[in-house]
Amino acid sequence: MASDEHSVTVRKVEPSSNPVQDEDLDQYGEELSGLTIVDVDVHVDDTLMFMLDYMEGHFRKRMETVLQADFKGEPGNSLRNLIAHIAWLGSSYDKPPRAKLATKEDLVSRMEKGIIDYSILFPSELLPVGYLPEPEWAAALATAYNQYMVDAYQNLDGVKIAIVVAPQHPVRAAEEIDRHAAHPDVVSVCVPDVGVNPPIGDEKYWPIFTAAARHDLPISFHGIEALIHDNYPLRVAHFHTLMQVNSMGFPFTSMLQIMSVVCAGIPIRFPNLKFAILEAGLTWMPFIMYRLDAAYLRYRTEMPALEKKPSDYIRDWYIGTHELEALPRRGDLAKLIDLYQGHNTTMWASDWPHLERDLIAGFMRYDMDETLRRKILGENALRFFGLKPRK
Amino acid sequence: MTPEKQPTRRSRSQRRIFVAPLNDFPPGTRMEVQVGRVLIAVFNVGGDFFALFGRCPHQSAPLSRGRLQGTVICNADTCWETQWAHEGEVLVCPGHGMEYDIRSGKAFGYDLKLRTYDVVVENGQVFLLT
Ligand code: FES
Repeated sequence: MASDEHSVTVRKVEPSSNPVQDEDLDQYGEELSGLTIVDVDVHVDDTLMFMLDYMEGHFRKRMETVLQADFKGEPGNSLRNLIAHIAWLGSSYDKPPRAKLATKEDLVSRMEKGIIDYSILFPSELLPVGYLPEPEWAAALATAYNQYMVDAYQNLDGVKIAIVVAPQHPVRAAEEIDRHAAHPDVVSVCVPDVGVNPPIGDEKYWPIFTAAARHDLPISFHGIEALIHDNYPLRVAHFHTLMQVNSMGFPFTSMLQIMSVVCAGIPIRFPNLKFAILEAGLTWMPFIMYRLDAAYLRYRTEMPALEKKPSDYIRDWYIGTHELEALPRRGDLAKLIDLYQGHNTTMWASDWPHLERDLIAGFMRYDMDETLRRKILGENALRFFGLKPRK
Repeated sequence: MTPEKQPTRRSRSQRRIFVAPLNDFPPGTRMEVQVGRVLIAVFNVGGDFFALFGRCPHQSAPLSRGRLQGTVICNADTCWETQWAHEGEVLVCPGHGMEYDIRSGKAFGYDLKLRTYDVVVENGQVFLLT
């Protein structure tokens, strides 16, 4: 970056047909070099067509049928597009331009900049898997996705994978965990938490927690807009615009799932199991912690298994920064983290390369002491995912 | 809303920065000018030049790379009906889509205005005044 106040450079530029992605990293390269950087929420092109070869029998036939579908000229290979076509297609007038899905080459070249130590890959296409009505189909998709991801993305420098499970089929979910847990590049179990009904603390899902605890694999809850899910919680049935569904949907789902897990006593039954919440922002964390504490005072006897107040459990949850809220003052993020006691649990997440991804400038603009910055940018994530420092 | 304050930052004498020969900067094109640490986006829209602070206040994406299109408006002038307006004069941030009026630098839907700069054309040459 030119720093001499008088230096002038002029260059001709073209409008970007894809949202700007990586220049932010270059811009902060110097400041970040030497620090451990883990991007805990990264997505690659995992559209359904890649899963075809991993499916057999009637599921393969069904996938072929899905891939032939045509929605307004777009191939039916995207579950997300399919859903968006039904609901809010065009409501943003294509601003900013649609984010391109990242190929393996895109990911590798982002890693080759040498700034990011680890990228943790989370599903895109299968995030809505939790609200597919048929458990067997949902489980078949998860199985195909996981095998595809392991085959395609293993042994890449700094790239790690979160396998996905279909929560509505806990037995198959546990089998998926057993199948992949020993793989050195599999670092977490992603539970897509939207549409999961009853909430995820329900005893029905305990086989998932049992399997994850058995293999010491942390659980990551990852949300999605849930474009067509009408009623869980505060979705299409309540709001008419995508903005409302999106902004409330993620944190409400997260709060609901945290509450469900804690009140079911899961942290006591599975004391070593680690949890993270991704893609829900941060500002609601103090709310759910201390709101539950207030009610706990009166209703503790409803959940006699708890040995501490709810916030004492919730502050152990890890949380990804994306979609980072733009707080008014530069000191506000550190204050917020103080409030939910998240110094050792907050992890930088970009959501690259999705439309709503955070550029790193969004995080770097906040003032905080260097210890906290280092923890958020990488050290906390190393601990959560059990990764070795690379710098 | 509070009345708009006029900043008094123009106390220093203005600096003329050569951007390009007019021939190299035709309508529909844009330039990114870096002056020290400050990035400025300069546009030729149908022969009129506009220059704005070049980094989006949201997460610093380079505004010179934004597309120019229209947007939807709804206000007393439209009798509170939603209309498509300002075609070609709304700069859309290539980061996450904040929209700016290319003429005034004002962000649509935010109480926020980007700094704008004067551009002059003299003897077939385009200059930026900072
Ligand atoms: S950087 Fe401009 S809208 Fe995010």
